[in-house]
Amino acid sequence: MRTFVTGLVLALTLIGIAGCSERSEGRPAPASPASYTMLDDGGQQLRLAFNRSMGSVRLVLLVDPTCAVCLRGLADVNADLLATTADPRLQTFIVFEPVIGGKASDIAPAASLLRNAHLHLFWNAGGGFGHLYATAVDLRRHGKLVNAWDVWTIYGPGATWGDAAPPRPALLMHQLPTLDNPGYRYLDGKVFAQAARAMLAKLPARSAAPRSGSAAHE
Amino acid sequence: MGERRRALGTAGGALGLGTMAAALGTCCGAPWAVGLLGVSGAVALARLAPLQPFLLAGSIILLAAVFWLAYRRPKACADDSCNVANRRGLRWIAWIAAVLVAALAVVALVPAIAAWS
Repeated sequence: MRTFVTGLVLALTLIGIAGCSERSEGRPAPASPASYTMLDDGGQQLRLAFNRSMGSVRLVLLVDPTCAVCLRGLADVNADLLATTADPRLQTFIVFEPVIGGKASDIAPAASLLRNAHLHLFWNAGGGFGHLYATAVDLRRHGKLVNAWDVWTIYGPGATWGDAAPPRPALLMHQLPTLDNPGYRYLDGKVFAQAARAMLAKLPARSAAPRSGSAAHE
Repeated sequence: MGERRRALGTAGGALGLGTMAAALGTCCGAPWAVGLLGVSGAVALARLAPLQPFLLAGSIILLAAVFWLAYRRPKACADDSCNVANRRGLRWIAWIAAVLVAALAVVALVPAIAAWS
């Protein structure tokens, strides 16, 4: 029994250490009501906001607000990129999807992981946007289309979302099992941040600061 | 420490590690982690996910130790003079622990296997 108790204490200690080892930028703020935009399965609200921010580097992140690995990704991207810049030329669109049972009420705690003034939160209650996005970026495993969630993308300043499907991103990373497309790599917060910074560096200083559309957290 | 207590403790350790491995294995496929641990706790748990194989390995090693305790022949038994009933209790502990650890291993690994297949 003593071994069991020791193991339990060790496990809890490990969780504590892992929690404390998050960098200060990654520490969540107290959960507060986050405003978000309802997103239909066709992604129209996101399309409008995305196109309004043309001229800036745009991140589009698709996550379930109750997926622990997605939240780890949010914490990593926040620590490596979002919390380190207030640059308005970087606009972040986060689509929360109910893939494993996430609810709208889970958005505020999840968003509390992020420290950035240019976040745009969306809630796709219908859960169909992931399929649309997967089709657009050809997200396949073993030849079959998979739902797009836990997907992390970067778009350049010139990307435009036409009437139909979302455009292809300049970089797509994910935290899914291996995908058919070898260009879609497993999320590494540092690599992701580096790619976004490289795009930002090519933009003229403070040009094309986008109007904030349906943005929350501004 | 009596053999029975030692076997119980070791079996408990195997179950503890197996439980932790199962928790790590299921932390992404179900929303329980956020509900139980909060956002920060869930992030911390997800950061520990790479430890899962080691926890499972540790669990199996402890389980092997329980079987060793249950099936070894103590010196006192060399001349068949020990109480066989006591050994039977230890063996029950070992087999019950084995079934539970196997169940936890399935819980730990099935989400990953399902995702990759």
